Amino acid sequence: MDRRNFLKVTGAGVLMAVAPSTVGTKLYANDGRLFTAYERVQLLDASGAPIKASQLKKETNYVFNYPYKSTPALLLNLDEATGENITLTSEDGQEYLWKSGVGKEKTIVSYSAICSHQLAHPTPNDSFLQYVQKDKKTMAYERSGVIVCSSHLSAFDAKRGAQRLSGPAAQPLASIVIEVAEDDSIWAVGVLGPDKFHEYFKSFKPEFKMFYDGKREAKKLVSISAPTVTLNEYSKEIIQY
Amino acid sequence: MNMNRRDAIKLGATSVIAAAAIGVTGCQKNTEVPSKQVATMANGNVIGKHQVVVIGGGYGGLTVASELKKENKDIDVLVIEKNETFMSCPGSNTYLGKLNGMTLDKFMFDYAQPVEKYGYSMLHAEVTNIDRSKKQVHTAKGVVEYDILVLSPGIAYDYENQFPKWSKNKVEHIRRSAPGALIPGGEHLALDRLLANMDDGNVIITVPAGKYRCPPAPFERACMIATFMKKEDIRGKVILLNPSDKISKGAAFKESWKELYGDMIEHVDFATITDVDTDTKTVTFTHKEALPIEDKDFDEPQFKTVEKRVSYSVLNLIPNNKANPVITMAGLEVTDDAFHKVVMNGCSFQTKTDANVYAVGDVVGHAIPPSGQTANWAGKQCAKEVAAQLAGKKYALPVAKTPVSAGNVCYSMVGDNPEEGILVKHDFSWNGTVIAGKGYVPKDEASGKYRSRGTAKALRDWYRGITNDLFS
Repeated sequence: MDRRNFLKVTGAGVLMAVAPSTVGTKLYANDGRLFTAYERVQLLDASGAPIKASQLKKETNYVFNYPYKSTPALLLNLDEATGENITLTSEDGQEYLWKSGVGKEKTIVSYSAICSHQLAHPTPNDSFLQYVQKDKKTMAYERSGVIVCSSHLSAFDAKRGAQRLSGPAAQPLASIVIEVAEDDSIWAVGVLGPDKFHEYFKSFKPEFKMFYDGKREAKKLVSISAPTVTLNEYSKEIIQY
Repeated sequence: MNMNRRDAIKLGATSVIAAAAIGVTGCQKNTEVPSKQVATMANGNVIGKHQVVVIGGGYGGLTVASELKKENKDIDVLVIEKNETFMSCPGSNTYLGKLNGMTLDKFMFDYAQPVEKYGYSMLHAEVTNIDRSKKQVHTAKGVVEYDILVLSPGIAYDYENQFPKWSKNKVEHIRRSAPGALIPGGEHLALDRLLANMDDGNVIITVPAGKYRCPPAPFERACMIATFMKKEDIRGKVILLNPSDKISKGAAFKESWKELYGDMIEHVDFATITDVDTDTKTVTFTHKEALPIEDKDFDEPQFKTVEKRVSYSVLNLIPNNKANPVITMAGLEVTDDAFHKVVMNGCSFQTKTDANVYAVGDVVGHAIPPSGQTANWAGKQCAKEVAAQLAGKKYALPVAKTPVSAGNVCYSMVGDNPEEGILVKHDFSWNGTVIAGKGYVPKDEASGKYRSRGTAKALRDWYRGITNDLFS
């Protein structure tokens, strides 16, 4: 079901013609609407067991690295169903369609955790970018239950494709396209929207050395599975305003 | 893009010729050639014409240039900047504090990367005059013509009005021996050298009167110099002489001063510097003191003004600020305070005087804080307006209708080992007269203190982010 939704997003482009399973480990597709397919990888917990969609805690920040070994993404099970068919616009004016959350209640979403403004992101040391639970306050926006970058105080709507709500960011966070399989397992398959991977790889070489054995390792694509942990486990310190 | 590239080459070539001409003249007549004569010779040549000319390659000007190219890559933009390398003022107090990794290279940037990336042109020259009737900017390398002019020239020091009795020589002498370090570059190096070589004794920081760039800067600097003195085992105090009792992020700074530095940081309010003797290393200031209780026959507290002297080991005399002289050259209507901000055309970054001249950064006559982040925000707004004007379209700034959340986020570092910081967030809104900022200084929920380690990390990330935006 979710799979089909996702295909609709990409239109009748390359993806319809070539199923991921037929091209081995990698599939790149770009239909000109800000979508890139990456290897389909399964989200696993720290012990290597599959993450189950129905067991994700509500309003909890989970982090996995995708599509590259060093590019963090947020996985969230929101408190209510997301909006549907949201038209979003990148900074350079390209429009794209964000279908909805996935899972039984359409509450599960995933976004690239690299700020679309100036690249703040969770690292093993600290995190400036995360979802702020409804019972907490944020300086970045009039209500919480939004994703906030505390570096420059941008807020993004977790229920609407990480659309920009306020602050200096000029475009949404990129979405990680995920699927929930029939056995309740979760898979990441691609990136929708304006990603910042190129700028990210240019900007954090010392960090790649510290955490990923250098830039070459950092730029490798994630394959087969992606370890997924809560943000508290991922980052030593969470900085949130 | 192609057209631009060609224009840039044209301009470059002509500049070289103009520079060569100056060089030859200089050789023939030795160094005795009056600078005016050289300027006049070079000034005569029109060396280029651009749709948009931006004066000033700082936080504001560079943002306008890159955002214009993002709006429409065919817009022909030239930035005129006198320095060939950039040094950041935001963050630079951590350099004086010798915080871990905050070395000079973290604050210095070259312009090559953004010029290549965005495709605007750059002319390194000093602006000598602006002729709005002919739409010309005169520089030491020749004349540049514009359709639209954007002024982001920053500040200048106003020693002349602050110390009317000082000779030109004394001003220059004080500028060298008690550097202000609010205009980045050599002054920061000089202040850093003075601190590195100091013996036991006091560091005096004088706070400018009136409006000035980066209002928290003197108070953050007190923290950073105090932490440096502690690390270097220098015995003495950091004394802030403040002509008013206003302290940006005041409660937060006072908390940090007291709890991190005890009586090492002393803030003297209503203290106005009047003179400096560099031989005896003494500052003279007037101090407005409240009269003792028994003398009071009045309802209001009464003050008397007394003259005082204090000796220093290092003096950081931050002079009163005024708009960069480029604003005077442009002959624009300015505010009647001592700073002379540019009067804006309503809810806009267009000037009131001339629809083809815009302003951003320190000189803007809105009630928004003069910070790097605000200049960055204003630059983005201004670029939208300029692009619309060039396209013959109308454009109203979103802030006219909807308040902007977090238009400014301004961090100050207050401690080292562990690093701790404080912050203020400003929301911007249009009040019918100017765009105004409303500030909020948060406390850390867990500790109940204004300062936190997280905020110090956020400061570093903010700085990385904003310089990344300008220079990568």
